[in-house]
Amino acid sequence: MATKTEQIPNSPRHPLRVTWDVWTAMYLREMVSRTMSDRMAWFWMIFEPVATIAVMIFIRTYIRGGKHIAGADFVPWMVVGLMGFYLFRETMMRPMGAVDANRGLFTYRQILPIDPVIVRCFVEGMIRTFVFLVFILVGSLLKIDLIPDHGFGVMLDWIGLWMLGVGLGVLLSVASGLVSEVGRVVRIVTLPLLLISGVIFPVTYVPAQYQEYLLWNPIVHGLESMRLSFFDSYHTIPGIDMIYLWLWALTSLSLGLIMHVRFAWKLKAR
Amino acid sequence: MIEIQNLYKRYHGPFGGGWVLKDVNIIIPDGVSVGVVGKNGAGKSTLLRLIGGMDVPDRGRVVRRGRVSWPIGLAGGFKGSMTGRQNVKFVARIHGIKKSVASLIKEVESFAEIGKAFDDPVNTYSSGMRSRLAFGLSLAFDFDIYISDEATAVGDRAFKAKAREAFQKRIDHASLIMVSHGEGSLRQMCEAGIFVNEGSATWYDKIDDAITAYHQSSGLVTDVADEDDDYDLEDDFALPTDLASVDEQLKSLRRESAKIYKRQIIVDYLLESESSPSSKRDLEAERVTLKRNRREVKRRHHALRSLKAELDEK
Repeated sequence: MATKTEQIPNSPRHPLRVTWDVWTAMYLREMVSRTMSDRMAWFWMIFEPVATIAVMIFIRTYIRGGKHIAGADFVPWMVVGLMGFYLFRETMMRPMGAVDANRGLFTYRQILPIDPVIVRCFVEGMIRTFVFLVFILVGSLLKIDLIPDHGFGVMLDWIGLWMLGVGLGVLLSVASGLVSEVGRVVRIVTLPLLLISGVIFPVTYVPAQYQEYLLWNPIVHGLESMRLSFFDSYHTIPGIDMIYLWLWALTSLSLGLIMHVRFAWKLKAR
Repeated sequence: MIEIQNLYKRYHGPFGGGWVLKDVNIIIPDGVSVGVVGKNGAGKSTLLRLIGGMDVPDRGRVVRRGRVSWPIGLAGGFKGSMTGRQNVKFVARIHGIKKSVASLIKEVESFAEIGKAFDDPVNTYSSGMRSRLAFGLSLAFDFDIYISDEATAVGDRAFKAKAREAFQKRIDHASLIMVSHGEGSLRQMCEAGIFVNEGSATWYDKIDDAITAYHQSSGLVTDVADEDDDYDLEDDFALPTDLASVDEQLKSLRRESAKIYKRQIIVDYLLESESSPSSKRDLEAERVTLKRNRREVKRRHHALRSLKAELDEK
């Protein structure tokens, strides 16, 4: 039997150091399992959005006619909307299973329930960003105009949508960890989001008197703002405001983090 | 050193729940290995979890000085889709090991002895291979205090022996806190003992005293020992001399053994479904007697078999 054992650093690590070590380890683990878990995982990562976009375009072209969008080409308009929406939805939904999926890891007392949640949000954002960049690159090669007119603005809006997903994701990860029914309800509630967020149908189609209700939805603000930065001549409804989205994002994130601190042990023990 | 101060713990389930541990005050000195004994559900594992920092007390606190391991041989943290090697790397990273990851992996690999499977996804492993990997992983880290929940009971016989040996080597410079029902291994590994009963935990400087206290409280003087522990019972039954009566006795012993075995299964089943503590205790007692009877029958059977072989030779 080998007696040479690993010397764990003798002086206790600083708490931030421990957290950093946990995050890097979990990041690598999550990345490996997301991209390598089965033979085609990386392929579906790219192909899934391609397929959904193709289906959406098919529906819009042949079933519900009218490809006209004021001030933007139809395909790029759709790609931008779907990409932004998926970024939000995935960063919101993925963390919900994170605590349960990593329950076994809580035997190592260095790991807290917030760690897998944050790592998943980060991984999701990285993957979505990468996919979007691939889309822009391939689209440009195919002569589809996917180069943003205001790159910096698009980046800010992209980060805004991401943060909105992160905030709600962190909050929902605690909520669904404590009350498992929350997960089901959220899944049902998010179904119509695709329609009411102006992803497939332009928000300008909505009659003027209902548009103010539409603006309660922070995703609309994020998506329309991103399209405005993307297409110089794009027209949308008045009242788009990123501050509103950021308020949502930061409020839910703060609340979620507070709940994680409060219920950390309850989440661990369950 | 581990210091437990005024510790209270309870679990808030949907059906409420009383205190699992109530006002526990214990100091475990450095370098002393401790065995934790008590009935099923007395709170032994909860105490261990609290010591290991996997759970927090409702009141009071646990002060840990020194590096405390996770429960040895726990395979829960493995990700099924990742290989054994990747899982080992992950745990090393969590513990802040960077430079010497390679040597650590080599050590786990050589201890676990699972060959090429080390690079296969963990969900292709058998449960034995899983626990080998988990055990090797625990022992590759140099902790001051190892905690173990019935840990040496993993793997096949050869691996068990190896694990036990490795464990004892470790005890030379580290200490061990273990929960077990195997009194043989408790006596072998531990010096001091903690007896957990009805929410309170009592410290004993000698493990034998803790085991005695456990026996007295449960009202059973019989020894619930490891399966591998050797027994030296005196020969108290008369051996027949002719082949015919030997055959007859063998037959009746076999019948008796089958009868006891059946009853054992029934008792085990009842124990699982029974909820009232008094009848549970009765069943527990019956189980112990049955176990002893069965062992006795087996022993007689062995003796008769060897006798028969002897007679056959003649």
